[in-house]
Amino acid sequence: MKLRFWGVRGAFAMCGREFLRYGGNTTSIELVTTAGQRLLIDLGTGATELAKQLMTCEFATGQGTLPILLTHTHLDHIQGLPFFTPFFIKGNKIRIMGADPPGLSLEATLQNQLAPHYSPLNGLENLAAGVSIESFVPGVTIALPGFTVATAAVPHGSMWTTAFRIEGDGKVVTMLSDVEYPNIEDPLPEALALARGADLLIHDAMHADPDYELRRGWGHSPARAGVYVAERAGAKKLALFHHSPDATDDMIDEVVARTAASTAVPVIAAAEGSYLDV
Amino acid sequence: MQITFWGVRGSYPVPGAATVRYGGQTSCVEARTASGETLIVDAGTGLRALGNKLLRESGGAPGQYHVLLSHVHWDHIQGLPFFSPAYIRGTKISVYALLTAANELDQVIGGITRHEFFPMPLEAVPAQFQFHQVEPGVDFVIGAFHVTPIALNHPFGSVGYRIDGDGSSWAYVADTAPFTEVLHKQHFLRGPEPLSDDDRVALAAMRDALVRRLAGVDTAVYDTHFLPEEYARLPHYGHSTPDHALAICAEAGVRRLVLYHHAPMHGDDQMDQIAATYLAKGAGLGIEVLTAFEGMTLPVGVEAAA
Repeated sequence: MKLRFWGVRGAFAMCGREFLRYGGNTTSIELVTTAGQRLLIDLGTGATELAKQLMTCEFATGQGTLPILLTHTHLDHIQGLPFFTPFFIKGNKIRIMGADPPGLSLEATLQNQLAPHYSPLNGLENLAAGVSIESFVPGVTIALPGFTVATAAVPHGSMWTTAFRIEGDGKVVTMLSDVEYPNIEDPLPEALALARGADLLIHDAMHADPDYELRRGWGHSPARAGVYVAERAGAKKLALFHHSPDATDDMIDEVVARTAASTAVPVIAAAEGSYLDV
Repeated sequence: MQITFWGVRGSYPVPGAATVRYGGQTSCVEARTASGETLIVDAGTGLRALGNKLLRESGGAPGQYHVLLSHVHWDHIQGLPFFSPAYIRGTKISVYALLTAANELDQVIGGITRHEFFPMPLEAVPAQFQFHQVEPGVDFVIGAFHVTPIALNHPFGSVGYRIDGDGSSWAYVADTAPFTEVLHKQHFLRGPEPLSDDDRVALAAMRDALVRRLAGVDTAVYDTHFLPEEYARLPHYGHSTPDHALAICAEAGVRRLVLYHHAPMHGDDQMDQIAATYLAKGAGLGIEVLTAFEGMTLPVGVEAAA
């Protein structure tokens, strides 16, 4: 299984020279099996870059199929949706799967994102591709071509997000982004279960450890939270993810160095760029 | 008066190596008088950096801010939840927008910070928000600024602003299509629709009013999202080309045109070419043409001529 980070930034897309090495796009991750089956997690601005690549292959002619999993619908995870060009090509079949936000449906939420005052697309029904919006209840296991995805709800400030354990080609990628455990040192059992023995654990690392005390309760983790999960769950590699918009490349370098020095688990910071072998 | 560009991009923010020189953040311009009064036009993602600067200037003290919105498409409002002065208790933020763009403006703006989209709802933000609905042709005054809203041609309506202050003037003309092939109304367009006689009359009237309002303006900041060949493919998207902007500015006697609301796919190298092409075209018409980049500050009017 190969994986590519198209967007690694949390909260806000950052432009400029200080953000070139890790990348300024908001969250989007592509997974591809050796057989070429594809899965996308989140539709942040990074998805608009993936879209350009997809439009050079079968998606340009309406032959593409793509499942998309959403961690949640905060804007930095869906703001690329109106600009994801495969949606505009008739014949493409795209599934958007996610949990319903508290009190309303996933479909109503995305419909509202495209409401006429906010977007000239004026509603999901105007996307030319076949787009299905599919709500699930976290806890279910989802079978997709080439992938099996276990899900769980994890706390994210006043709401929660969906975490994923994705198996493909006999490898496991665990996605725990936009999460803050009540006690950072003691990750929740559902998080540990999803990360058990994972080949790659992608974990929220919005805050540098020294900044965390000021931001406790905001729904995001300090860098060390992923270490606790990785060590306890026996994950083989940790990718720090959902970098703060204030974190320049040099600052992320420091966070990675400090985090890596604290654990035997190999640590990287998620960066836009090339395909990684899981 | 001077203006500073905090976001120059249209549609969505574009990080990466291709946008480091012109900038990747979306629509946001700051106007400032010699005495330091400020006015914010559009609240795209460029607003985040502007807010941080304003907060540094105030030393963290509460302030009063005025934000004019052209319309409420995402790329023009997405910076609002990240405007750091809003998180200072005692701060007051007045937001002005077109009546038809948002019949219930507080709900539309509040809608982007509902729990499904953002961690903190508008009601919980410490700053006090006030919403004002503007109408084309009805002028108003904000401190040292005299503001004239101008109807523009964009899906579900958009409004430009002529802003006079400090004895000089500039205009913000975004987002708008030209006033020929397509009349944007309150419904979705799959492509250009045939124009009725009434539509042609409406377009001509809108164009006339724009030219009249721009008469004698020192600097016009104009939606030039498309190159001509791109516009030819997508005339119903609601954006203009630099040629459309030049024609309007030439007719109105505008001294300087600033190309603005750059398409996400136009990288720095292509922007250099666009800038050079239209600098030359403008010179032929006696109009100075600049291409907006993030961080660009321009003195306007009296100060610019001095």
